[in-house]
Amino acid sequence: MRLYETGFLISPNVTEEDADIVIQQMADVVTQKNGKMAKLEKWGKRRMAYAIGKFGEAYYVFFHYEGGPDIPAELGRRFRQMDTILRYLTLVKETQQNIRKKKKAADRRRTRDMAAGRPAEPAAEGGAPEPKKNEEA
Amino acid sequence: MAREDRPERGSYKKFFPPKKKFCRFCQRNVKFIDHKNVDILKKYIPDRGKISPRRITGTCAFHQRKLAEAIKRARLLALLPYVEN
Repeated sequence: MRLYETGFLISPNVTEEDADIVIQQMADVVTQKNGKMAKLEKWGKRRMAYAIGKFGEAYYVFFHYEGGPDIPAELGRRFRQMDTILRYLTLVKETQQNIRKKKKAADRRRTRDMAAGRPAEPAAEGGAPEPKKNEEA
Repeated sequence: MAREDRPERGSYKKFFPPKKKFCRFCQRNVKFIDHKNVDILKKYIPDRGKISPRRITGTCAFHQRKLAEAIKRARLLALLPYVEN
């Protein structure tokens, strides 16, 4: 199970209700494939930075969901079939990749703690220098 | 201006030292730059729509990579322009 984020643009020539129907259909795809919708963002009609086709604006929708790799594949397949979808973009949201590790410092701290016979700090990666300093002082 | 009247080399820097640049993302301890956050990304694309180099903005290498990626994704979704005239 992975976290995905899919954003897509619905062309502005459909009515608001029709756009909602399309969004509902796509949300159903996620639930049918045993995915869990975490967040559904609707920005509404918004001006685009450049024209796509002959349209200057579009409905922006973003799905945040958890599930297997078949969900984005199925969504992509459907998006390509529908001519009301102007663009789409799917990203895999890795929780690990977003964390900027200070690996060396954390490792050093851990080895020092082990040598001192103390249990390793739970938040070693986050870096909690305050209590450390007090001990040294 | 006569050669003698010209200020010494580096004197401008001496009296008006350039403001030290720093990474705005490091300052706020940002770990992930979202491509949907257009207001932040817009600050890094001046008039022409090109991505500003680190040299100008002072962004660190790590965040410049993330920023460039976010801007390119935003361009795909037409949140930001590829070119601006």
